[in-house]
Amino acid sequence: MSELLAQVRRWPWGFAAVVAIALLVANVIARASFATPSSWPSTLADFAPFAIAAMATTPAVLSGGGSVDISIGPLLNLVSIIIVGVLIPHGLGSFWVAVPIALATGAVVGFVNGVLVAVFRYQAVLSTLCALFVLTGIGLAVLSQPASGTTGWLSDLGNSVGPIPGGLILILIPVAVWIALGRTSFLRSLYCVGGDDVASYSAGANVTGVRIVAFTLGGLFAGIAGIAYAAATQSADAGQATQYTLPAIAAVAIGGTSLLGGRGSLLGAIAGAAIMFLIQTLLDSLNVSSNWVQLIYGAILLFAIVLSSVLARPGRPTLAAAEGPVA
Amino acid sequence: MMNADEVTAVSAASTGAQPTAGPLLKVVGVSKSFGATRALRSCSFELWPGEVHAVVGENGSGKSTLVKILSGVHRPDGGEIMLAGQPAPDRPSPRAAQRTGIVTVFQEVLVVGPRSVVENVWLGVDGMFRLQVQPAEKRRRAREALGDLLGSAPSLDVPAEALSLSDQQACCIARALVRSPRVLILDESTSALDVATRDRLFAIVRRLCAEGTAVIFISHRMDEIAELADRVTVLRSGESVATLPRREATTDVLVRHMTGHAHLTEGVEKVPRAARVRGQVLLRTEDVRLRPGGRPVQFELHAGEMVGLAGLEGHGQDAFLQALRGAGACTGRVLSTDGVALSSPDRAKTAGVAYVPRDRRAESLFSVLSIAENFAVPTLRADRRAGLVDWGHAARRLGDYAERLRIRLAHPRQPITVLSGGNQQKVILARWLAAAPRVLLLNDPTRGVDLGAKRDLYRLLEQLTGEGVGVVMLSTEVDEHVELMDRVLVFREGSVSAELAREQLDRASLIAAFFGGPDGSEESDHV
Repeated sequence: MSELLAQVRRWPWGFAAVVAIALLVANVIARASFATPSSWPSTLADFAPFAIAAMATTPAVLSGGGSVDISIGPLLNLVSIIIVGVLIPHGLGSFWVAVPIALATGAVVGFVNGVLVAVFRYQAVLSTLCALFVLTGIGLAVLSQPASGTTGWLSDLGNSVGPIPGGLILILIPVAVWIALGRTSFLRSLYCVGGDDVASYSAGANVTGVRIVAFTLGGLFAGIAGIAYAAATQSADAGQATQYTLPAIAAVAIGGTSLLGGRGSLLGAIAGAAIMFLIQTLLDSLNVSSNWVQLIYGAILLFAIVLSSVLARPGRPTLAAAEGPVA
Repeated sequence: MMNADEVTAVSAASTGAQPTAGPLLKVVGVSKSFGATRALRSCSFELWPGEVHAVVGENGSGKSTLVKILSGVHRPDGGEIMLAGQPAPDRPSPRAAQRTGIVTVFQEVLVVGPRSVVENVWLGVDGMFRLQVQPAEKRRRAREALGDLLGSAPSLDVPAEALSLSDQQACCIARALVRSPRVLILDESTSALDVATRDRLFAIVRRLCAEGTAVIFISHRMDEIAELADRVTVLRSGESVATLPRREATTDVLVRHMTGHAHLTEGVEKVPRAARVRGQVLLRTEDVRLRPGGRPVQFELHAGEMVGLAGLEGHGQDAFLQALRGAGACTGRVLSTDGVALSSPDRAKTAGVAYVPRDRRAESLFSVLSIAENFAVPTLRADRRAGLVDWGHAARRLGDYAERLRIRLAHPRQPITVLSGGNQQKVILARWLAAAPRVLLLNDPTRGVDLGAKRDLYRLLEQLTGEGVGVVMLSTEVDEHVELMDRVLVFREGSVSAELAREQLDRASLIAAFFGGPDGSEESDHV
C-alpha cells in the first residue's frame, strides 16, 4: 500500500493517465467510430480548448501560496471574440496578425493578474475573480451578439494541418513551451517556490518574480486556448465566457496537481481534462442524459481531492514511521 | 547587483593589499522595532575574519531580529552595518545578503519537501531562467558538502521530505556551504542535528574559519559555545551589553551579563508575604511525557499556589500548559481533584480549569464584538432572560470585575478594540474569572501589557490564590517568576530540568537553569 502510494506520489498524474486510457478504451467499445482516424481531427479540435485551458490554469496553481487564476475561461473566450468578432470581420484575420495579438492579449492579462497577486498581495481567488468579471464585461461590450466566421489557417487548425490534426498541434505547443522551460532554471524555481515559499525566499529565490511569470505563462496558454476555441467552433459568443472556468480547475486537480502548489505537472492537466472530456463523449455514445455528467465530475473530483490531500502531507509523522526505517 | 559586485571587488582588493585591514562585518548601533515592541535597541559588535563569534541572550533579547537583519529579511530602523568597509545593500533581501557573502542557516528547518535533495541544496542560487551552476557541478558539490556533514551523502534524488529532520537540516547547512560564504550565520541550527552530524559541522566550521570565513554562532547550549566560539557577545533586552573572549566567557559570567543587575520591571518588588496555605491537590499529572521517550513531568498543583513555567522558547513549557488544559499532544494523563482525566479542553473547563491563551488577537479576542460581549461569551447562560440574552445584565456583571480589575472602560457596548492591550487582557481575564475557576492557567498573560496593568494583574493573582485558586502561569519574563511564584518549573528539551522554590528564586539562578545550570548537571544528558 505504501509502495503504491510512493509510486503515485512520484507520478502524481499517473493515476489520471491510467483512468484516461481506460476511458478511451471504453469510448471505443461504446462507439467503434471513435477509433476511426478520420474522426480524430474533429475530436481533438473539440478537446483542445479545454485541455489547453487546464494547462493554462496549471502554472499559477503550481506557484503555490493559494495562487489560482480563475479568469482563464473568460480570457480565452475574449481572445476568441477578438479573433472571430473583431479581427476577421476587419480583414485582419491573417495568421501573422491574429496570432501575435491573441498571444499578447493572453500574456498581458496574465501578467497583470500576476502583479496583483505577487506584488500587491491580493488574494488570488478574489483578484482573478475581478479579472473574470472585467474580461467578461469587455467581451460583451465588444461583441453583444454571437458571431461566426473563420479564415484559412484557423479552419485548418480546427481540422488538419497536412496529415496532423490541428487540435493536436495546439495541445503540443504549451507542452513544447513547458519542455523548453524545463531546460532553463524556471520550472525548478516554480516547483520550489510553490513547494515552500518561505524556504525559497530565505534561500534567495525570487518568489515574486516566479509567481508573476507563472501567471503570465498561464495567460499566454489561455491565448492559445482562445485560438483553439475559435478554430473548433468557428464562432465567438461573449455569453460563453465562464464555461471553462471551473472545469479547468477541476481538470488540474483530477490530474494530480495539488492546489496547495509545488506538486503536479502540465501532463496531469491534459490527463485530467481528458478524463472529463471522455466521460462526456462516453455518456453521449451511450445515450445517457448529459444531466448525469455533472454528478460524475463531482464524484471524480472528490476522489481526486482526497487523493491529493493524502499526497500533500506525506511527511506527517506517525509512530510506525518513527520506529520503522525511513522509506 | 552592481553594488554587490563592487563590494566583492573592493574587498578582494583591500584584502589583497592589507590582509588584516579590519573587521569583516561591523554592526554599529543597529535598532529595529515592530510596532510598539523594540526588538533591538542598540546592537554593536565586530566580526573578524576567521573567528567564530557566539551571540547569546535570553528569550526576547533580540538575537533572532539581529539574525534576520543581517540575513536581509528585515530592514533595520537605525544603525549601520558595514561588510568589509561597504554599507549593506539599500534594498535588503536574503538574495542581496547572499550576494554580499552573508549566508544564514535558520533555526527552522527550511526545506521544500517535495523537491529533491540536490534541488534543496541549490535552492535559490539560479536566476529566474538562467542556470548559474551546471547540473553536474551541482550534484558533485552537493554530494561533497553532504558527505562532509553526514559522513555518507544520502541519495541526491529523493525528496527532502523523505529524510529525517536532522538530515533535512543538514541539507540547509549544505545549502549555505556550497555558496562559499564569507560570513556564515548559524542560528540555533544545531538544535535539529544529531550529535554525530553536529560534531562534523563543528569540524567544517573550524576548517572554514582557517580559510578566513567568519561565523556568527547562535546557540542556547553553553557546551557548544565553549567548544566552538572564539568570542561571545551578550544581548540583553535588545542591546549588546558585552563582548568577551572565550576564556572569560564562563557560564556564570554570561548569565550575569544576560540578566543584568537592574530589574527590568522597576517598582515591582519581591514582596514578603504571609506564608500561603497549601490546600488540597487540584491537578496532578500521571506519566505525562511531552516528547516520545522523554522524562515524565511529575507535577501536583495545590489550591492557593502559584506555579511558574519557565525555560527557553520551545523547550516544552507551552506543551505542558496545553496538557494541563486538556489540549496536549503528549502521552499520559492529567487528573483533577475528583480523579477525572482532563482529556479535552471541554472536560477541563467542566472540571473548573480556565485557560487564558498567549496570543490575544488570534486565540481569545473577538475583535468585532463589544467589550461586554467579549466578557460574557462563555458565561452567557447567566444572562438569559426567557431564553434571550439580557445584555444589561452582562454589562452589570462586567461592572463588578471592572472595579476589581481596575478596567478602564467608557461603555461596555463599545468595541473591545478601543481598549489598550492591558485593558483588553483584563477583560479576557474577567471573562474566565466569571466562570469561577478552581484552576487558572495563564499563557504569558503580560506580554505586550503596560506596567500599570501588569501590577493590577499581579495583585489580582495574589488575591485569587488567597481565595484558594491554583494558578499556573507560563511567562517569558524572568522577573515575573522571581517576583510572583511560589515555585517555578524550568523546562529544557521537553522535560523539567529544574524546580526552584520561592527562596531559591533569583534572576541568575533561574537563567542559569534555562541554560542547563552552572553545575553542569544538564550537560551529562548529551554526552
